[in-house]
Amino acid sequence: MRSKLLTTLLGGLFALPFGLLALLAVAPGWRFPAVLPAEYSLGALRSLLAADNELLAGLGRSLLLASVVAAVATAGGFGLAWAIARTARPGRWEALSYLPYALPPVLLAVLIQPFIIRLHLSGSVGGVLVGLLLIALPFATLLLRSFWSQQATEYEQLARTLGCTPRQAFQQVLLPLAWPLLRTALFQTFLLSWFDFGFTNLLSVGKVRTLTVQVFTYVGEANAQLAAVASLLLLLPPALLLWVNKKALLRRPDLG
Amino acid sequence: MSSKLRSGKLLLGLYALLVVGLPLAGLGYALLGSVGVVGPLAAGFTGRYWLALGADTGLLKSALFSLWVAGASLGLSVAAALGLVLGAQATLRRRPFPTLLYVPLLMPSLVMGFYLFQLLSRAGWLSRLSFQLGLTHSLDAFPELVQDAAGGGIILAQVLLAFPFLTLLFQAIYQESRLDDYRQLTQTLGASAAQFRWRVAVPVLLRRAAPALLLSGIATLGAYDLPLLLGRPYPQMLSVYIATRLQRFDLRELPAAYLAGFLVAVGLLGLILVLIRLTRRHAF
Amino acid sequence: MKKILLLFLAALSLLSGCGSDMFRTPQQTLAQTWPQIEAKGRNQPVSMQMWMGDPLINKYMSTYVKPEVKRLYGIDLQISAAQGAGLAQTLAAEKEAGQPSQADIVWINGETFYQLRQVDALLGPFVDKLPNAHFLDLQNPFINTDFQQPVAGMECPWGNVQFTFIYDSSKVARPPKSFAELPAFVKAHPGQFTIPNEFTGMTLLKSWMMALAGDPKLFQGKFNEAVYTKWSGELWRQVNASRPYFWKQGQTFPEQLAQLHQLFANGEVAFTFSNNDAEVDNKVNQGVFPATARAYVPTPGTIQNSHYLGVVQGSQHPEAALLVVNFLISPEAQLKKMDPNVWGDHTVLNLAALTAAQRQQFEQLPSRRYAPRRASIQGLALAEPDPEYMTRLFKDFRAHVIEAPVR
Repeated sequence: MRSKLLTTLLGGLFALPFGLLALLAVAPGWRFPAVLPAEYSLGALRSLLAADNELLAGLGRSLLLASVVAAVATAGGFGLAWAIARTARPGRWEALSYLPYALPPVLLAVLIQPFIIRLHLSGSVGGVLVGLLLIALPFATLLLRSFWSQQATEYEQLARTLGCTPRQAFQQVLLPLAWPLLRTALFQTFLLSWFDFGFTNLLSVGKVRTLTVQVFTYVGEANAQLAAVASLLLLLPPALLLWVNKKALLRRPDLG
Repeated sequence: MSSKLRSGKLLLGLYALLVVGLPLAGLGYALLGSVGVVGPLAAGFTGRYWLALGADTGLLKSALFSLWVAGASLGLSVAAALGLVLGAQATLRRRPFPTLLYVPLLMPSLVMGFYLFQLLSRAGWLSRLSFQLGLTHSLDAFPELVQDAAGGGIILAQVLLAFPFLTLLFQAIYQESRLDDYRQLTQTLGASAAQFRWRVAVPVLLRRAAPALLLSGIATLGAYDLPLLLGRPYPQMLSVYIATRLQRFDLRELPAAYLAGFLVAVGLLGLILVLIRLTRRHAF
Repeated sequence: MKKILLLFLAALSLLSGCGSDMFRTPQQTLAQTWPQIEAKGRNQPVSMQMWMGDPLINKYMSTYVKPEVKRLYGIDLQISAAQGAGLAQTLAAEKEAGQPSQADIVWINGETFYQLRQVDALLGPFVDKLPNAHFLDLQNPFINTDFQQPVAGMECPWGNVQFTFIYDSSKVARPPKSFAELPAFVKAHPGQFTIPNEFTGMTLLKSWMMALAGDPKLFQGKFNEAVYTKWSGELWRQVNASRPYFWKQGQTFPEQLAQLHQLFANGEVAFTFSNNDAEVDNKVNQGVFPATARAYVPTPGTIQNSHYLGVVQGSQHPEAALLVVNFLISPEAQLKKMDPNVWGDHTVLNLAALTAAQRQQFEQLPSRRYAPRRASIQGLALAEPDPEYMTRLFKDFRAHVIEAPVR
């Protein structure tokens, strides 16, 4: 009973934004004190499609960029966390990993821009990748750092003693063990890149037109209906991905 | 094994170049900018902006306000996440929970800010609902839930964004650390459920999640979109304070903005180091 | 620690390295004849940086301008979002690094123009190179002067707008006709009025301050400390006296105009403002504002200004950029832009310089429905004062109003 109540409560809490945004997206001139819109129209969606006919290409670019960032950051972070666990002073490396976060993002983007320009990366996907990895890589590293504990090393050694090759030990023991953390890291770094406007727009001087770059400005502008349409355009693709990958994402790996 | 170690060293070297080199270079740029040595209108060394700092309490006030918002948000999110993981473990394992918790992670902060504004402002949806139900009789009668003096709107938004992530994280650690086995073990040994929670589970979860908690707290300290939408122009949170100086109207203000940014970064760095040390001291 | 220091030094050394590899000096670019520019500019990409928050404006750019410059010159126009200080910082950083710019055309005015001139990031003077420049109304002081700075060919006029009050006529029967009536009106209608703490709000404060002073001529020319101190002091007295009757008892102010627009659209306040006199039509057409929204200019007047197109000095395709700018000030492009159903941005062309047929087209445009006629507010137009007035008002609005306790 309590369990059902909790599920309903949280389900409702998490569904409400989607419901309200969907209503706002089709409701022109919906004002206090009307609880429901007086009329419905797809005008905002149509005007957004008309204002930018490259939305589909932007969607593709966003997916590609976010996938690359997620894969590189998570794989890199996993390897880095392992390498850090083997250094003489892992604590020092851990502390260093926080450095990019000591600068608030609004500041970090502006301060690294001169260097991105000097590295001839400004205006290119390369510059955007450097900027996004600067945030995503230490994030994944720190998140996955907790995995390489004494315990994981012991499991690895146990597997080796039982005759596994290093590759087998990695694939059949360590990877399944780390999967819950890895998928959280993958998911978070994907979204981090998917939703990024500031770094992508600034470091590419507007030239890497991801879906987020194309519609983000509308979210902050005066037109609430349009802002809701833009918000949904940002939310729905990752929501769909989550739905499709639900099984892969949530499968409890067999520890063999 | 040695080639493995060598590639590990190479990886770490590259990592240092990115994660240490670039931010430090940026920090150096900010420092040099604050004394007028680099920057678009740099005219040579000057201590003017550092000297003017004494008369300006704005930075300190926004630092304190940011600490309050970050502390309150993190505290509430951790409490909610721990409550779920320890109090509703069975529910969390059942459908639809594992998927459900990923859903709020899909909200970028700007969208969250826009949504909460449309939901909670005085002309927002809840206010309309309460008006129709006869609970309030005018717009002004609805309580101020966003853009309030205490930053409650910002805190609520941060909690909504952070607690599902923390729940997922705690749950992953709970499973991976086999806390369930420990629970059974402690119970066999005659300990109560509360003793297991407070003496075993909470310390393990908090200790192992410490880096992520720290990150989450720092991200809140540096948040920009949410305070801009749901906060007031005064008191400002740190990012808004810096952005106001960085982006508004006047390039001559830039050294002062660089200075503020430099001090914030150094302050945050100091805070991070202290917190890391603290979590280590309490590690066992 | 030593290692980190080395890395740091290596990164810093990047600051000084890298020579300039710009292939042409601005003088060389501008020394060319128009046919040479036309030949060189064809089939190039052009990157234009502008504010992208309005779907109507974006639609004008992507469904009209973009295909037209492609058709006429084979130019691939890319539009990206950047404005104000962010834009100035990017261009300044590129210039400091001695690198060619990633941007070609920038949409600017006032303080951004001033900043870009300060860091010498604009190419020019280029305006008299453009064949369509002879259509421009360059005798008009509201067009040839940008925040008291002579345009001097360094930026090309693109559109002209005037600050208006927007109110909901279903809630407010008789809005204050003048700045002098404003305090009494606000006191009689508490909670309906506020000042956004950004660009448009500062334009409101500038207009209010000039109304208090009674003589707009005081604000001509360079920044005058004595004039500013006297009349801004007067302004803060009046604003603070009215403040308890503002939205939320004046305890807080919206940080962005978009948010004030949303408060207005939701019916939480009865007034909002716009730097574009035709915006009310644009917003009602989009269903954002109620159809009862109206715009007007209170006496003794409000600020009218123009917005401009600049060509970036480090541009990699300056010839193509000039071709695009020339197209944007052509009678066809200006006519299309002025239509309230397209954008509603007032033209910067001198109608007398056009052919009779073209002039007629401008005069026969569908008129604005909710905004005042241009002819009726021209007499209420005030010139923009020096950018320093804005900078100071912005700082002092925070110090004397926002951070001061409500009395």
